[in-house]
Amino acid sequence: MTTRSGESSPDTKTDSSNWTIWLRTRIEGLVPPGQALPDRQPVYVASWIYVFGVMTLAALVLVIVSGCVLAVGGSAWWHVSSLGHFVNSVHLWSVQLLFGFMVIHLWGKFWMAAWRGERALTWISGVVLFVVSIGTSFTGFLSQSNFDSQWIGGQAKDGLNSVGIGAWFNVLNPGQMLMWHVVLLPLAVVAITLIHVILVRRHGVVPPLDANLEG
Amino acid sequence: MSVLSIVAEGAGRYISWGVIQISVANLTIIVVMVLVFILALVLPFPSSHGDKSDEEGRAR
Repeated sequence: MTTRSGESSPDTKTDSSNWTIWLRTRIEGLVPPGQALPDRQPVYVASWIYVFGVMTLAALVLVIVSGCVLAVGGSAWWHVSSLGHFVNSVHLWSVQLLFGFMVIHLWGKFWMAAWRGERALTWISGVVLFVVSIGTSFTGFLSQSNFDSQWIGGQAKDGLNSVGIGAWFNVLNPGQMLMWHVVLLPLAVVAITLIHVILVRRHGVVPPLDANLEG
Repeated sequence: MSVLSIVAEGAGRYISWGVIQISVANLTIIVVMVLVFILALVLPFPSSHGDKSDEEGRAR
């Protein structure tokens, strides 16, 4: 340490070769000051249609927590334990809520043209997140370890092969689909969610089409 | 009760209209979602504080 406690070296602010400074500057610049966790919102946000984004996030937290508990017991736990069955049901129904909230959020944003005001990437990341979420949910249905998952896998392989993507993965391989469901796709969902939320905080919540922003 | 009838029980009830076929459960969920969407647009949002929000927004 070359600096004393309470002092900061002026050189460290401009040292572009230091990767921690570079990374810190990038993180600090992701959103405008005070907008990462704001305590005030524009007046037009006081509408129920604006709550479905954060309700989707809340459902996602419940999905992840219940999924982590299911991971402790394993994919067959819910077949042999009433507690496992309960947690599996919480996982299933929180996913239903997640998609319900997400689709209503999508409807609201579509009808207010939420890509306005340099928000195209926010819109696109939301669309990608929607598609990846469908894949994550789909692999969950393939991981039920019952006849239902077997039937879904049998139907899906025909559909996926018909569009030419069947060579990349095998929906009839329950081990592969379980690993995709609990590792790869959740990582993608969380990463894209972070990008989406950062973009929302960076550009602000989209105003309604008839909002008077001059007043 | 035969195995076939048990399988058919799980399939649920379906509504057919021309080329469109949808289960009653799925149709009910869609109708409820549309209803929630409409209610979210028309119901007033509760405001417990009298404070003014940031009216400037940050629309760019």
